[in-house]
Amino acid sequence: MNAVPFSFWRALLIAQNTLREAARQKLFLFFLLLALALVVGARWLRDFSFGAPELKFLADCGFGAMAFFGAALAITATAQLFFSEIENRTALTLLAKPVWRAEFILGKFLGLAAVTAIFCAMLTLLLMAVLRWREGELMREFPETFASGGAVSYAMVALGGLLQWLKLAVLVALALLVASFAQTQLFTVVTGFFILVICHLQYLAQDAYARAGSWFAQNIGGALAAVFPNFQLFALADSLNAADAPPALHVVRVVLYAAGYIVAAGALAVYCFRKREI
Amino acid sequence: MSANPSSAPSSLVPALEIRGLLKDFSAGLHGLKLRAVDHLNLSVAPGQIFGLLGPNGSGKSTTIKLLLGLLEPTAGSCAIFGVPSGRVEARREVGYLPEAPYFYRHLSGRELVRFYARMCGMGGAPLEARLDEVLALVGLSAAAERRVGTYSKGMLQRIGLAQALVHDPRLLILDEPTAGVDPVGTAAITALILQLKARGKTVLITSHLLGQIEDICDRVAILDRGKLILEGAVVELIGRTDQQALVVETLPESELAELRAWLAARGRKLEAVETPRNRLDRIFLDRVGRNDA
Repeated sequence: MNAVPFSFWRALLIAQNTLREAARQKLFLFFLLLALALVVGARWLRDFSFGAPELKFLADCGFGAMAFFGAALAITATAQLFFSEIENRTALTLLAKPVWRAEFILGKFLGLAAVTAIFCAMLTLLLMAVLRWREGELMREFPETFASGGAVSYAMVALGGLLQWLKLAVLVALALLVASFAQTQLFTVVTGFFILVICHLQYLAQDAYARAGSWFAQNIGGALAAVFPNFQLFALADSLNAADAPPALHVVRVVLYAAGYIVAAGALAVYCFRKREI
Repeated sequence: MSANPSSAPSSLVPALEIRGLLKDFSAGLHGLKLRAVDHLNLSVAPGQIFGLLGPNGSGKSTTIKLLLGLLEPTAGSCAIFGVPSGRVEARREVGYLPEAPYFYRHLSGRELVRFYARMCGMGGAPLEARLDEVLALVGLSAAAERRVGTYSKGMLQRIGLAQALVHDPRLLILDEPTAGVDPVGTAAITALILQLKARGKTVLITSHLLGQIEDICDRVAILDRGKLILEGAVVELIGRTDQQALVVETLPESELAELRAWLAARGRKLEAVETPRNRLDRIFLDRVGRNDA
């Protein structure tokens, strides 16, 4: 009997089904609506601004909503959509077909990455619209301040959205890795949030270890940096001006950095899931 | 098991072959093991309906999962048409209906079967024709556009059968296909299984309805605590060759006495006089005979 080759097409079918299932769940809608409300409501939250220019404050709110609710969505949706297949036993029927387990993991990742992509795209578009609207108002109110043109580079906003999505895709891959060996959804969610915090704060640990000066401490810092991605790399600079845009090489490096972690986490997830008893 | 399955004529290769299969599950932190399948040996010839029986926890579902490569055996091996179960290609010729199936509720019946068919590599116009055919076969053409979440238990079993059949596999593994289904649905599923046998398919079925197994299976195996305790052809296991039953119109007592005397004169004995009874499921089906369970 001929071997069954790995099929990207089958992985795409699983991804499509995962995306469709996620879109119909209230969880996705809940996080999306919360984040959208925060982006729109940021216009009326200026009292919480500590001196930042208004448009920058709006952008910070938008990216903050994308990062916070996006991370919550990435972790919980990954855990829920993975374990629903196991607990509802749909994985039984699916894996009883001529399907590689690697196709299942890849399909789940692609579907969840698409969920976070839709989330980030919708928020980025809304953020652009809010910025554009407020920028127009401010230009009419203070024409002399905007004599040299608009203050917002929309390409920078789009780039910010793309970087946020890359970060969420890495988080999905890491959560999927945990789910591939975890026995419960709760464990996956809790561990996912721990990983999120570590990835956001690992640069502090690196600095502390580097300052410690000892060879041992520096190596621990290096190991920590290698195992957990540094999510600070996915943040934009403090300005929305095109002049402050990061160099293209930096962006390419961040994309490759994210891709490296996704591939590594995905490969480990396939390895863990390979012998998992369904 | 054939080392090189392609070298043996297909009719000689068993549809299923299990050799020395052993499966232990960890049952605690102290290294305790729970033996679910205990040195099981079985062989199912192509074209048979084979019943796997046993009480709850006897290892039937675990055996099926091992056959499908969903679990790793602790020891031993199993093969489907000569291909070791752990290999993906072994599942190409298998259709599987799990016990109490649960499917993607957000898909319609047709979308669900299409999804599984595509997973098996089907596509294009032949797929759409096959969808119509298989949905008609399981009696769900009218409900094909409804969401699976709205299906009754009997309809879920039938859409499960449709997804198992859609790629026209040579082997069907049906785990409790009539569990929770009413007698009308059960009769429809039974008829479908017999139809599949007529088409040359091999069927491995587990069921608690022993009457159903007796009616449709060629051979059965009984498991208890993971061990094979009995295996054989149904006719050999339940048939009696030393007695016969004659069904006649009701005889008055005087004629029965004459019959006893006639038999006694020939050294025979009338063992029992009973009134034949209609089976309750037959009466139920006659009265409620419809096909929309």
